[in-house]
Amino acid sequence: MTRLTGGVIDHETALRFTFNGKTYSGRKGDTLASALLANGVQLVGRSFKYHRPRGVLSAGSEEPNALVTLRGGAREEPNTRATVTELFDGLRARSQNHVGPLHRDFMAVNDLLSPLFASGFYYKTFMWPRAFWEKLYEPLIRHAAGLGRLSGEADPDAYDKGFLHCDLLVIGGGAAGLSAALGAGRAGVKVILADEDFQFGGRLLAETHQLDGMPATSWVTAVMAELAGLENVRVMPRTTVFGTYDHGIYGAVERVSDHLSAADGAVRQTLWRITAKRSILAAGATERHIPFPNNDRPGIMLAGAMRAYANRWAASPTRHPSDPVIIFTNNDDGHRTATDLLAKGVPVSAVVDPRSDAPTFGDYELITGVVDDTKGRLGLTSVRVTQNGQSRWMPCGALGVSGGWNPNVHLSSHHRSKPVWDDALLAFVPGKDLPNGMIVAGAAVGQGTTVKALRSGVEAAVSSLAALGIAAEPIDLPDADDTAAAQTAFWHVSRKGRAWVDFQNDVTVKDIVLAHQENMRPVEHLKRWTTLGMATDQGKTSNISALAVMAELTGKSLPETGTTIFRPPYTGVTLSVLGGGDTGKHFRPTRYTPTHQWSASQGATFVEVGAWLRAQYFVQPGETHWRQSVDREVLAVRSGVGLCDVTTLGKIDVQGPDAAEFLNRIYCNMMGTLAVGRVRYGVMLREDGHAYDDGTCARLSENHFVVTTTTANAAIVYRNMEFARQCLWPELNVSLISTTDAWAQIAVAGPNSRTLLSRVVDGFDLSNEVFPFMACAELTVCGGLRARLFRISFSGELAYEIAVPARYGNALLERLAQVGADLGATPYGTEALGVMRIEKGHAAGSELNGQTTAQMLSLGRMVSEKKDSIGAVMSRREGLAQDKRRLVGFSPIDKSEAIVAGSHLFTQGETRNTTTDQGWITSAAYSPHVGSSIAIGFLEEGDARMGEVVIAANPLEGREVRVEVVSPHFVDPEGGRLRD
Amino acid sequence: MTDLMAITALGAVAPYEFQIGGLVIRENTELALASLSLGRGQGAPTILGTSMPDVGQWLAGPEVSAFWTAPNQWFIEGEGRAHEDFAAIVKAAAPDCAVTEQTDGWVAFDVYSNDGFKPLEGLLEKLVNIDLNGFGVGTALRTGLHHMSVYLIRRSDTHVTIMGMRTFAAALCHALESTAVRLR
Repeated sequence: MTRLTGGVIDHETALRFTFNGKTYSGRKGDTLASALLANGVQLVGRSFKYHRPRGVLSAGSEEPNALVTLRGGAREEPNTRATVTELFDGLRARSQNHVGPLHRDFMAVNDLLSPLFASGFYYKTFMWPRAFWEKLYEPLIRHAAGLGRLSGEADPDAYDKGFLHCDLLVIGGGAAGLSAALGAGRAGVKVILADEDFQFGGRLLAETHQLDGMPATSWVTAVMAELAGLENVRVMPRTTVFGTYDHGIYGAVERVSDHLSAADGAVRQTLWRITAKRSILAAGATERHIPFPNNDRPGIMLAGAMRAYANRWAASPTRHPSDPVIIFTNNDDGHRTATDLLAKGVPVSAVVDPRSDAPTFGDYELITGVVDDTKGRLGLTSVRVTQNGQSRWMPCGALGVSGGWNPNVHLSSHHRSKPVWDDALLAFVPGKDLPNGMIVAGAAVGQGTTVKALRSGVEAAVSSLAALGIAAEPIDLPDADDTAAAQTAFWHVSRKGRAWVDFQNDVTVKDIVLAHQENMRPVEHLKRWTTLGMATDQGKTSNISALAVMAELTGKSLPETGTTIFRPPYTGVTLSVLGGGDTGKHFRPTRYTPTHQWSASQGATFVEVGAWLRAQYFVQPGETHWRQSVDREVLAVRSGVGLCDVTTLGKIDVQGPDAAEFLNRIYCNMMGTLAVGRVRYGVMLREDGHAYDDGTCARLSENHFVVTTTTANAAIVYRNMEFARQCLWPELNVSLISTTDAWAQIAVAGPNSRTLLSRVVDGFDLSNEVFPFMACAELTVCGGLRARLFRISFSGELAYEIAVPARYGNALLERLAQVGADLGATPYGTEALGVMRIEKGHAAGSELNGQTTAQMLSLGRMVSEKKDSIGAVMSRREGLAQDKRRLVGFSPIDKSEAIVAGSHLFTQGETRNTTTDQGWITSAAYSPHVGSSIAIGFLEEGDARMGEVVIAANPLEGREVRVEVVSPHFVDPEGGRLRD
Repeated sequence: MTDLMAITALGAVAPYEFQIGGLVIRENTELALASLSLGRGQGAPTILGTSMPDVGQWLAGPEVSAFWTAPNQWFIEGEGRAHEDFAAIVKAAAPDCAVTEQTDGWVAFDVYSNDGFKPLEGLLEKLVNIDLNGFGVGTALRTGLHHMSVYLIRRSDTHVTIMGMRTFAAALCHALESTAVRLR
C-alpha cells in the first residue's frame, strides 16, 4: 500500500473493488486510478500498437493510458478512463488489449517488430497483392485494431434526455468557474454550473494553496454550500459539457448513476441540451509531458497528476512507500510537485530541470539536465539523467514530468475559432470569433494562478451579465497565491530511441520525423498520417508537443506551424445516451388508427405506413399464406361488402368566403364550381409542374370544404396549403385546419354497401337518385351520432366512406361488421386495398412518385386552362409536356408468371439499356378477379400500344416477363358499378 | 343518444391514470374542443362569456376556456362536454367565424403535482425544450415532444395539460409515463 494521509477522501469508508480479478480496497472519494495507485498498482494496461506496458499518466479526462473495461455481461464498458471512474463498492475492472495476462502479453512481440510499424505503415505495406486486401489484410487489421471489445449485447441500461435553459452556463467548477457562478448567482440570474468531476473545486482540490489562510477546500465547501442555497443556481456535478452548438445550445452528459454500486434500474446517464444566453468556459488546463526515449513506462506520469494523487487522493505514485520519486520539469510548477510530495513524506531524490537558472524550492537535489532513458519492464525502476554530457542511472519508483500547461480551449473552438499562440505562456489560448456569448476564464485562457483564475471568473460573470443588461457587483475574493510558474520552451529530449508523443496511439517523435520526411507537414496531414491525436483521448496530452516537434523539424515557429481545432465531443459520449433512452418500438412514435383494437381482435396483421400502423390483412382460420387472406378479402368486397379503416388519409377543413377560389388555385382542376353536397376528385401539382398528390374534395356548404389527401402527403399538403394561404395569397379570406385525427373514416365498399349502410344511418335516403356517386352529406348514424358520408370509391365498386368522431370509430366498425354479417361484410386491409386499386388502375404513391405528370397519369385534361393553379404553367413547359409515357395496364402472356414492380419495359427484340428503356412497372399484384398477375406502369406512348407485347425486365433477379399492353382498368372499365 | 360505445384515445373504456412520486397523470376524455378562426377583418369574439386570450395565453371563463394557437386562431375548450356537438355550440356563439370540431383530434393528459411546480418542472424539462422560466400560469404554447407536436397549457401552479394528436396517444402516454418513472 502506498496510501498517504490527508486528502479529500473519506478514509473511514472502505470500498472493495476488483482489477483483473484481484480484490483491492479503496476509499470513498477515490477514482479507480487513485485507488489502484494507493494499492501500489502501476501497470494498468497495454498500448495500442506495440502492446507496451502502461500506467496511469494523468489525473483527469485527458488520460491516454489507463483505459479499462468496467463491469461485465451486457453492461461491459470498454475504453473507460480509470482516472475519471468514481470508485464504488463492488466495481469490477479489467485491463485491455493483451493476449494472456497483463504482465505477460503475447502481443508484446509487436514491440520487437516496431520498425515495421512506422507511421503510415499500412498505407504502404498492404498494397500488394491487391486481392489480399479484402480477404486477409483488412480482417487482420480490424482484428488488431481497437483497445477494449464491445460485449455485442444490447445495452440494458436506462437513459434519459432533457432540456435546460439558463442565463449563464458556467463550464467547469474550479477556481474560475466557482467564482463566476458565485458572482452571477448572487446577482440573481439563472445559472447552471457543470463540472465533469464528481467533486467541485478543480485544481483547488489538488493543490496545497491556501485561500484567506485556510485550505482551499474550505473555501470550495463554503462556496458550494452558498450555491446550493441559491434557488437560481443549478449545480451539476458529474456533468460533462461536451459540445458547443448553434444558437447558444450546449450538449452535456450527466452521469446519474454510473457511480452507484446498485443502480437498481435508475437512469444511467442523461443527455442535456442546455440553452444558455451566455456561457463562461472555465475548463482549466491540461499538463503536457516532455517526450524522451522510453518515456512511457508505468510509473511515469504528469507531475501535476502526481501532485493531485498525493494531495487530493492521498495516494503515492510508487509501488512501494520507500521508492524515491524523480521530477523532470521545464518549469517551476514541476518543482511544486517535489515540495508537495516531500511534505507528504514521499521521498524525492531529485528534480531534473534543463534550465540553467532553475530555482530550488525545497530540500531536494536539483540537477540541471535532462532525463533521456528509463528502465523497468513492467514498472519504472531507474532513469538515466544526463547533465553536461555526463549520464548516470538513478533508481526511482516514479517519474513526474512537466512540460507546461495547455489551456483547455476545446469548447471555444467548436465553431471554428482558431486558438492563437501566446509566446509568454508558451501555449495556445482561445482566439477571436468565439462562440456567440462565450467568455473564457481562468486557466483555460492562461490565467492559471489562483488569484488570476478567481478574478477572471468574476470578471467574466460581470461581463456576461452586463451583456444581458444586468449590472452585477464584483464579489469579494479570498487572498491567494499569485505566483506565475516560470518555464522554458523545452519540448523534447533529442536522443536515440523511441520517445512517445501520443501514448494512446503509440506515436513517437520518430513517426513525426518520418511524416516530415514524407512531406506530411501541414498539421492536418501530420495528424492523419501518424494517427496522432486520433485516439479516444483526442490528443489532449500530445497535440502541442507534436506541433512543437514538427515546428523544430520545419524550422518554423509554433504559430506558423499552426494547430488543429476541435470538434465535439470533448470526451467520449455513449451512443445510448445520444439515443435519449427510447429504443425498439419506442424509438419513434407510432400512430394507431381509431379501429386498431377491433382490427387486432379480428386477427389483423399490421404494417407500418409512415408513422401509422395499419391493418394489412386479416388472417382467418385455415389461411396459411397472406395471399389467401388478401384474395379472400378482394373477392368479398367485389361480391359482397368490405370494411376498411381509411382514417389515415389526411383531412383538411377549408372554410371562408374565398375557400372555393383558394382551392381552384391549389388543385390543377376546377374545384370552385363544385356543388354543395358533392365531392370531386382532384390533383395537385408541384410548382415544377409534376403531380404530387391526389384526393377528393367535398363541399359541405357554400363556404366549407373538406380536402382529403393521400396518407403519405397529409402533412406536406397541409403545410403547402398553409404556405399558400399565408404567403402567396394573403388577400384570400380563407382558414385551414387539419382534422385528420378528429374523424374516424371507414370505407364501406362492394355491391352490398348501400344495404349495409342503410342499417346504420338514421333515416337517410341512400338511393341513387338522392345520394348518387360523388355525393356527400352530414347526417347522423346509430341513434344520433353526427357523421359525414361520402360516396366515393377507390375499389371501383359501389362504395362509401363514412366518418364519425374518432372515439366512436372502433364501435362503428364493429357494428357494421355485425349488422352486415348476412351481407358478407368483411374487414379488409391495405393489401386488398392495393390489389383493388391496381385492378381499377387508380394511381397511388408508386405512380405519384414525384417524377410523373398529370399527362403521364392520363389525367392531363384535368389541368384546367380556364384558370391558374400551382404548377399549371410549368406543367406545359417544353420538355415536360412532350413526355409521351402513359399509365397503362399489363397482363402476362404466360398467366402463371408474376410481374414484378420496378421492372423496366423494353420493346421485344431491342437491346436493353437506358437509351432503349420504354418505361417501368409501378405497381403489380395478383388479381383474384382476373386470375393472374396484373400490373400498371408507365410506357412510352403506352396509350397507342394496346395489344403490343413488351418485355418487363428484372435484371436484378435475372428474370423477364412478356406482357401485353392493356387498359389499366381491369375491372369494370366503364365505371358502371360505382355509379349503380 | 347513440348506442355506440366510445373508447378513449388509448383504446380503453376508462381514462388512463398514473401516479408516481408527487405526480399524477390523468387522461381527460371529457374535454370538448373546437378551433375558431377569424375571417379577414373580423374582431375576436367572446364565446359563452370567455374572451379570446392574447398570443401564447390561455384563459378560463365561466363556461368555456380558450387558448391561442395561431394568429387569429384559438381552441375553445368545453370541460365535460366531449359528448356534445361542441363545435355547433361554438359556431352558434360566433356564426361569422370558421369553427371546426377538434374534440377527437386530440388527447389531453392533465399532469398534477401535489408539491408545487417543482415536480412538474422536473418532468417538463425532460420532455420539452421550453424555457420554463417563461411558462407561468395562463401560458399556452405548442412545441415538440418526442417527435410529436403538442400543446402545453399551464392551468395552475400545480396543473399542466399536455395535448397531443389523438392517434399518437399511446406514444405520448408512454413518453409521459416512462419519463415520470425515470425521475424517481
